[in-house]
Amino acid sequence: MSKQNLTDYKDTLFRVITFGAAMVVLVVIVGIFVSLVEQSLPAIRKFGFFHFITTPIWDPVHEVFGAASSLYGTIVTTVLAMAIAIPVSIGIAIFMTELCPNFLKGAMGTAIELLAAIPSIIYGMWGLFTLAPIMGNTVEPFLQHTIGKIPYLGSLFSGTPLGIDILTASTVLSIMIIPFMASIARDTFMLTPQVLRESAYGIGATRWEVIRNVVLPYSKGGVFGGMVIAMGRALGETMAVAFVLGNKHQIAHSLLDASATITVTLANEFTEADSNMYMASLFYLALILFVMSFLTLAAAKFILKERSAP
Amino acid sequence: MNILTKRKIQNKMALSLSVLAAAIGLFWLFFILWDIFRHGMSFITMDLFTKDPMPPGFKGGGLRNAFVGQMLITLVAMVIGIPFGILGGTFLSEYGRHSRLGRFISTLSDIMVSVPSIVIGTFVYAIMVRPIGHFNGWAGGVALAIIMIPVVIRTTEDMMSLVPWSLREAAFALGAPYYKVITQVVYRGAATGIFTGILLSIARVAGETAPLLFTSFNNSFFTTNLNESTPSLTVTIFQYAMGPYDDWHGMAWAAALVITVAILLVTVAGRLLIKWRYRN
Amino acid sequence: MNLKNIFLSLLFIATSLTLTAGDTINGAGATFPYPVYSAWAFNYYRATGVKLNYQSIGSGGGVRQIKNRTVDFGASDAPVKPAELKAGNFLQFPAIIGGVVPVVNVKGLKAGQLKLTGEALADIFLGEIKKWNDPRIEAINRGLTLPDSEITVVHRSDGSGTTAIFSTYLSVCSGDWSRKVGKGKSVNWPVGIGGKGNEGVANYVKRVNNSIGYVEFAYAKQSKMTYVKLKNKSGRFVEPSFEAFKDAAAGAKWNPDTGYYLWLVDAPGDGSWPIAGASFILLGKEKPGVNRRVVKFFEWAFKNGDATAEKLIYVPLPKLLKSSIQDYWKKNGID
Repeated sequence: MSKQNLTDYKDTLFRVITFGAAMVVLVVIVGIFVSLVEQSLPAIRKFGFFHFITTPIWDPVHEVFGAASSLYGTIVTTVLAMAIAIPVSIGIAIFMTELCPNFLKGAMGTAIELLAAIPSIIYGMWGLFTLAPIMGNTVEPFLQHTIGKIPYLGSLFSGTPLGIDILTASTVLSIMIIPFMASIARDTFMLTPQVLRESAYGIGATRWEVIRNVVLPYSKGGVFGGMVIAMGRALGETMAVAFVLGNKHQIAHSLLDASATITVTLANEFTEADSNMYMASLFYLALILFVMSFLTLAAAKFILKERSAP
Repeated sequence: MNILTKRKIQNKMALSLSVLAAAIGLFWLFFILWDIFRHGMSFITMDLFTKDPMPPGFKGGGLRNAFVGQMLITLVAMVIGIPFGILGGTFLSEYGRHSRLGRFISTLSDIMVSVPSIVIGTFVYAIMVRPIGHFNGWAGGVALAIIMIPVVIRTTEDMMSLVPWSLREAAFALGAPYYKVITQVVYRGAATGIFTGILLSIARVAGETAPLLFTSFNNSFFTTNLNESTPSLTVTIFQYAMGPYDDWHGMAWAAALVITVAILLVTVAGRLLIKWRYRN
Repeated sequence: MNLKNIFLSLLFIATSLTLTAGDTINGAGATFPYPVYSAWAFNYYRATGVKLNYQSIGSGGGVRQIKNRTVDFGASDAPVKPAELKAGNFLQFPAIIGGVVPVVNVKGLKAGQLKLTGEALADIFLGEIKKWNDPRIEAINRGLTLPDSEITVVHRSDGSGTTAIFSTYLSVCSGDWSRKVGKGKSVNWPVGIGGKGNEGVANYVKRVNNSIGYVEFAYAKQSKMTYVKLKNKSGRFVEPSFEAFKDAAAGAKWNPDTGYYLWLVDAPGDGSWPIAGASFILLGKEKPGVNRRVVKFFEWAFKNGDATAEKLIYVPLPKLLKSSIQDYWKKNGID
């Protein structure tokens, strides 16, 4: 083989190797989907799709399984966590881009990143030992005595405050996603051209007006995309909620009731399911979660791409 | 009230709220860290690192098995995840940068970064635990590697794209083939960035629990044999924190302290490295 | 290149580690006997150098994992029915006897102060009795002041033999329970929150005021929980104790031909604790090599483990049963 040929050969080889490595991502994603479908086939055949996601019963004794209670828990904890996290994280981002003195910026950025790096199991454990008693003994009775007295709205806070419930789980979850959302929001805020800001200040706008009328509109696509990504994360979070949600398959009407998410159900019951139908139903739950979070994240990517396109 | 005062008041209120939000964020960070230190510190002893767990009801013991198991599982994840990640990222930033497939894979990796880790656990159970017939440490390592690969791919791609195109052209002009340009020019230019990406991806997977629950499982003994159930710090924390014994809780806090400090150090190191690299 | 060297050395370390062969016996299942099995395993390792890794994942999990043969032995507190033993190609034998006790967390109540009947217990777990000062509870506990607060029920979230024993007992005592909920390793609980394992239930009961749960006695004892007295079949209120469990097991008729399938709930006898149960070991019949090593451990434990078990308030198997089990092993080709 001539030297030229050898070089060509090596180049092609390297190209093929890197191509193969990149394809691993595709293979794994497809592999996850295919294997989850395969494993859950018995449950898909028995319960169908609409029937499965609308049945609120999870009864291993009689082998009747439905995803409604776990789905409900997943959606409620995620929505509530987002409701707490969105205002706080936008506030943090505003502080960091518009208000924070320069010498603090680095420290603040590091702090937010550290908060994001703490493993979720630590959040969960801390939630059980520290946050749950505070919620159960102080915060939740307080909420019951205030908001709990308002008709209709009050029923959200009925029941015995235990600290092991949807409200605590959502709070832990929100603390987990705040740093993530805050840093995305900060990055998008910083993309606002300085010229735009300065011209607004030039016509006498206050800081808040600049933020509200210039920075926020300019970056709303990016911020929205970031929120959706955070939501995708919250949907799939396991350990942070596993400790404090109470593992109860029910459609809870009060935020002070225990519940179960898809992830918590998997974590608790996966190694223990003793019948094939039970196992298949758990795989079915995993499949639903996978598709849900995949679609959410793909939507977020789409939103972000739309925005960055000229 | 005239309009100017109203605007000023609005301004003050909004800004104070954002300061409050920042304070809340910092408050949680310090609250959690302080709590871990407060509870964990008194249980950090030499025994924690040098002794294996005792059955409940017996005094003493440590978590040596979990520390070693955690390191082994993470090591397996690194050995698989880093090469695949770097090579895959290379394809995306070089050979495949203008192709539709390249862009598709890049987007897919971004999505995969956030795929629920517990789902990856169930997937690896289906492909590596059920067929093999028993829980094993390798499966845990593979599960973590699957989480690691897209992270490394994306940072490698980004860091390599940052290397100026003119550098590659200079090398081409000397007659170097593409693979040599990549390995000797582009990798050099992007090394620090890629290394940081690797550090951060390690920090990310080292704290994962959910994918290990049904793969590497747990083991109350010391083992370096990854063909059997392998203990990990995170699963041990889950077991101990959920347990009813006070000394288990203490050890769970201590393990939490160790793992948190380790991960935070790696994260800070990564940040400093990036800062240092892009200042010069 | 630098990075390449790092990878190579990592690869080398990883492969060299796998060369060390392991001789660990892996078991998983019931959380009920976890304290005693792990204590035995610890002593066995000291005596013989053989490791036995027992993970408490719940009885449902134990049966599941041995069905898949992902472990060397499974453990379950709910005996597997003879027909299922055949289907799964299992061997089954009991290894230890213990008791399930209701535990409460009510301010001011001490262990053994509160008395309950099977019916009252079923009503609490059905959600029919909602408060601690319900007349149905006060009628049994004259002279005891109980708070006017809502009861929080804590049950198991995982497939559990403890639940099977407990729900079998409630089904025996209460027609309502047996109609509405039934018995099994995991049931469709009408009320309450779920803890993972005996550990999780014990932990939640300790953390939640005015709660009630049920755990294996060793858990209640070791984490110093408030257990209650129960009315047994002969109408006496008994306190959970080693003797009370022993009495419950005394009249049992064990039969190797059914894989020792037997429940010990609501046993006759003046001193019997009403919710006792044996914990069973499951083996895959087709693996004599593995089974020999597992059986060796239990043989050792039957010989040397009684004192450890008694210290943890478990009842060791009676001598006759032990020798019957040893015959059973031999008959099935393990010795």
